[in-house]
Amino acid sequence: MEPILQVSHLSVSLPGKNGPAPILKDISFSLKQGEILGLVGESGSGKSMTAFAVNQLLPGGGKSITGGSVLFAGEELTGKTEKQMQTFRGKDIAMIFQEPMTCLNPVFTVKRQMTDVIMIHEKRSRKEAEIQAADMLKKVHIRDPERTLSCYPYELSGGMRQRVMIAIALSCSPRLLIADEPTTALDVTVQAQIIFLLQEACQESGTGIIFISHDLGVVSQLCSRIAVMYAGTMAETGPASEVLKAPGHPYTKALLAAVPRFTSGGVRDRLYAIPGMVPDPSEIQRGCLFAPRCPHAMDICRTEHPPIQNLGNQHQVSCFLEKGVSRGDGIS
Amino acid sequence: MTAFLEIKDLTKTFTLKGFFGKKTDVHALNGISLSVEKGESLGIVGESGCGKSTLANLMVRLEEPTSGDILLDGISIAHKKEKELRKLRSRIQIVFQDPYSSLSPRMTVEQILTEPMQVMGQYTSRERTERASELLELVGMRSSSLRKYPHEFSGGQRQRISIARALTTEPDILILDEPTSALDVSVQAQVLNLLTDIREKMKLTYLFISHNLAVVKYISDRTAVMYKGRIVEIGPSLSILTSPMHPYTKELLAAVPIVGKPFCPPRETAHETGGTDAERGCIYYDRCPIKDEKCRRERPVLEERQEDHEVSCWKL
Amino acid sequence: MMSLIKIWKILRHNTLTLLGAGLVILIVLMGLLSPLISPYDPNLMNIPARLQAPGWSHPFGTDEMGRDILTRVMYGARISITVGVSIVVIAAAVGCFFGSLSGYAGGKVDRGIMAVTDMVLSFPSMVLALALTAALGPGLFNTMLAVCIVRIPLYVRLMRGQVLALKEMQYVKASRTFGAGPVWVVARHIVPNCLTPLLVQMTLGVGDAILIASSMSFIGLGAQPPMPEWGAMISTARTYAIDQWWYAAFPGLFILMTVMGFNLLGDGIRDILDPRSVKN
Repeated sequence: MEPILQVSHLSVSLPGKNGPAPILKDISFSLKQGEILGLVGESGSGKSMTAFAVNQLLPGGGKSITGGSVLFAGEELTGKTEKQMQTFRGKDIAMIFQEPMTCLNPVFTVKRQMTDVIMIHEKRSRKEAEIQAADMLKKVHIRDPERTLSCYPYELSGGMRQRVMIAIALSCSPRLLIADEPTTALDVTVQAQIIFLLQEACQESGTGIIFISHDLGVVSQLCSRIAVMYAGTMAETGPASEVLKAPGHPYTKALLAAVPRFTSGGVRDRLYAIPGMVPDPSEIQRGCLFAPRCPHAMDICRTEHPPIQNLGNQHQVSCFLEKGVSRGDGIS
Repeated sequence: MTAFLEIKDLTKTFTLKGFFGKKTDVHALNGISLSVEKGESLGIVGESGCGKSTLANLMVRLEEPTSGDILLDGISIAHKKEKELRKLRSRIQIVFQDPYSSLSPRMTVEQILTEPMQVMGQYTSRERTERASELLELVGMRSSSLRKYPHEFSGGQRQRISIARALTTEPDILILDEPTSALDVSVQAQVLNLLTDIREKMKLTYLFISHNLAVVKYISDRTAVMYKGRIVEIGPSLSILTSPMHPYTKELLAAVPIVGKPFCPPRETAHETGGTDAERGCIYYDRCPIKDEKCRRERPVLEERQEDHEVSCWKL
Repeated sequence: MMSLIKIWKILRHNTLTLLGAGLVILIVLMGLLSPLISPYDPNLMNIPARLQAPGWSHPFGTDEMGRDILTRVMYGARISITVGVSIVVIAAAVGCFFGSLSGYAGGKVDRGIMAVTDMVLSFPSMVLALALTAALGPGLFNTMLAVCIVRIPLYVRLMRGQVLALKEMQYVKASRTFGAGPVWVVARHIVPNCLTPLLVQMTLGVGDAILIASSMSFIGLGAQPPMPEWGAMISTARTYAIDQWWYAAFPGLFILMTVMGFNLLGDGIRDILDPRSVKN
């Protein structure tokens, strides 16, 4: 099946302290219809920038993209004008963010904001749009859609606002939904509900979802494929089950070890913490960008860029360790 | 013997004024009682709005309780005047959630770290700077950071500075109000490990507040689960995690995303409900999957079900 | 503090701010150095040379008493800058005090202060300043006092808003948990963090204050002739406006330049002090 989104060799540079700094370096991944891809990494890894690049919303506009392509349903998005992109945004490609309050207009009711979107993109009358808005709220499991519709954003809790945002995003049945850390600001119980909603939307309407998060725990529950990013590079991509069970990249392994769990070990044992910090993109780097923090780093890692290895089953890892850290030389 | 830290029937009621002067009471805390031993670490878990942050604010006296008391070594801190509070304030310090708004953007790290000692009139100016640089090293940062401003640091580093600031007055008790929930998972691990080390080194007592039960395990000996301003379950952390008894604790546990654990869809009843407190009956009635008639009529109280493990539920 | 090099880097690409800064510096220097560089004595009358058009000996012409207008405009800069700056400094100081008090104390104090502030703000500032000067009696000092009173509420508002927002910041709360009192919190946390908006408001305020003060003099309530105040000069020039255009034009031009200078500079300062504005 043809993928709904195909990003290949995407590179992005943004102005930095010492001239243009590479923010994304040779990023490739694809997303099929009805698939949920987890884009994982620490802050500064470039995961949000990737989302913006797909949507052509980069701070510097199209000029920031220095190479590669973004194919959406077979159509090239890089180089599209702002006006051309507007026909995609909201309708074919929807986006939700971490803080829904900043995306909802505080002076309008939920009804007004939902119907506006539906009327613009679906060309419906206000009456029809209102009915559809109520339907959408029911779909995101809001019990009393009529009451919620008449609310202003500040009257809703964080979880409810995120539901409304999802309802708005899904109201034009987009083919691609980009969710940028949508649950990071929420309680775990509410987070579970949002994950459930996204799963449902994906199954029912076949929407492809890119779910961005720093927490492999959350991603493991929702996504069928995982892409791990580090400092603007793609460290590892593969089916979720494989990446989680046998991570190929030391960074993925470290991220996994950092997730708090209660299924094993006693009280107050230590979590694995990755030493050091994500490098500053404006500094010139050589070799594997993770090498300074990697427990398995070898001499070659510090001088040369690691090759992309195929571990089979569309599982790729960018590392010098043969067959990845979990199956390779017995290091672990 | 009096307990080291004792919270007695602590209640905080906020009065909201409506449009036409109509007043409604919101019970942020509703008769919380706890006792904490010296050197112990107590986790407090619950969703936003359960009153856990109000408890933190009362502990450091940013707010005054409506009724009830907080006793530190038998001395009440809840109703003291600001002047008499001075000494006690240095003994209880707090680390806030947001690493961005918790440090003044116009002050250098040195100014930030010496401020508490200056306010309390501790040490000479040189000693204060020395102490600031020692503490900075204790939290794993270079003392050259003293001259920098907060915006030059990442979220995790800022949180380290906040921890160092809280330690300057040599407190006995540290209130940690979701200190890691704004951080990346990888950074969270660093900060949690740091907190564990510091506690051992300085023999501190922790009150660790979080919405994630899995995080609490790494730092707390005991855990209290709060819901709508009350404690519904309290006991040893391991016991709470491995054999939770209250249905709410079970719901919280099920929601924690764990690698390798299959996702369990939330129950349809697990929706946020209005904050209105039922007059009688169990506070968890609306969301409870195993409720019955008795739960609606009578409110359960905390009862010891296992050793040191108390639960307030009729259905056990 | 930001280094001068950095400021220059930002300024270099901001022509309007540079223009504003240039104008302000020019006017201030002119005022400061007027006794040294002005060609004549500002009050020296020379009746035979009255109402001369601009020429070599009198670049800006002369007035009805034969006084050199260039000299008088230079001395006028002195008065206007002093008037503008002192009005703003006093108004800001008083306003900040009440604004902080209002924001920090809350409750009845807040409601009281804000009621007075709103009352003052609901009058057109010119009309109120006029009424106050009329009540106090004409004269430059009374005008300054009146304009000052009219400007205070702006700073009360500004400061109160800042305090209310900053009071909720966690670093302010943290400060309170180790026992810092209101004075400490305002001095150490709130004032440093509102300096940017305050400085911007003050710079813009100097221009406004000069404009109001000149208008008052124009009406005849402020500076009295023969004081070389720009507004007062224009006032006397009214009679000669049709035939001797230069008499009113040059003081007017300098009012324009001063007010514009401070406004441009104020906008520029806002850009410089906003950390987000540091572009590459």
